[in-house]
Amino acid sequence: MDVNFRKIDIDQYDEDALLDSELYEADPRDPAQALNEVKQKAAAVRSSLSKGDVVGALTLVLEDAPYGPNVEEAKNLNLQTLVSILNSTKATEIPGVVKALSTDAQDTLMKYLYKGMALPGWGDVSGSVLLGWHEKLTEIAGTGCIVRAMTDRRIV
Amino acid sequence: MSNVLRPYLAAVRSTLTAALTLEDFSSQVVERHNKPEVEVGASKEVLLNPLIISRNENERVLIEPSINSIRLSIKIKQADEIERILCHKFTRFMMQRAENFVVLRRKPVKVGIQPSPGVLRFIDPRVAQGYDISFLITNNHTDTMLKHKIVDFIIQFMEEVDKEISEMKLSLNARARVVAESYLTAFNV
Repeated sequence: MDVNFRKIDIDQYDEDALLDSELYEADPRDPAQALNEVKQKAAAVRSSLSKGDVVGALTLVLEDAPYGPNVEEAKNLNLQTLVSILNSTKATEIPGVVKALSTDAQDTLMKYLYKGMALPGWGDVSGSVLLGWHEKLTEIAGTGCIVRAMTDRRIV
Repeated sequence: MSNVLRPYLAAVRSTLTAALTLEDFSSQVVERHNKPEVEVGASKEVLLNPLIISRNENERVLIEPSINSIRLSIKIKQADEIERILCHKFTRFMMQRAENFVVLRRKPVKVGIQPSPGVLRFIDPRVAQGYDISFLITNNHTDTMLKHKIVDFIIQFMEEVDKEISEMKLSLNARARVVAESYLTAFNV
């Protein structure tokens, strides 16, 4: 007997069915625009890094971070920019930098740390650097920060 | 605890503590059922973003939280073929006795099996392949046991399992050497 009909997802025809798009507000920017903004930010980040302004660079990259399903390219580029900042910061400077960030920026940073750890071996993403940042960030922002990274559907 | 392992375990500890905020939650799909939502995956509004903590490509932990249960999967370090075999035997031994460990799952999760493909999309497929051992913690466990003790248990398990496997590897090699020596004495002139 053919049992393939059992695999049909009948719930998708339900009018009350919950869609992914209803769980969070979509990013208002279209993919090309998001990518452009991220590229501009990457250039700005390089200039503030050369001046030694880590806090400014981090705030810049964490502000209006692209999220959602259609902007993979922009998200990856933003991650690369962020990792370059994280790698160039000395371990002793981390607590001061994290303290200077706003709560929203700290939450976004936490999301990026987990994203970075989910794909080790991509270019220069290194587990130990991310773990060091994670530890300092948790010390300062508390477990609430992790909970917010876990519950926020706007995946960076 | 060795110094290199410490940040990794600290990250797992804090993430697990954050994820272990569980409450009783009945199924929204079937009336009068109450099951771990992370396993059923029928309603995506109660599943949270899965998080991965990794030390390197071969050592990582996947934590999949939901409203009434979390699933924690560990990829144990396996440097060579012997460690792979030992790890497989060891985890198999534990998982066959899963009910004695209460929170242990009988099978490790394969790839992050997620009902809604959207949730896992940010996880690299190379990373998502396979874990060695999984734990399933439900709200019943957090009701009857102390939360920080559960966290301690998982962390202690992660510490011990590495130690155990490297010890077994050493004794295996020592044994193999003794066997080889006594065997080869027969050919000694």
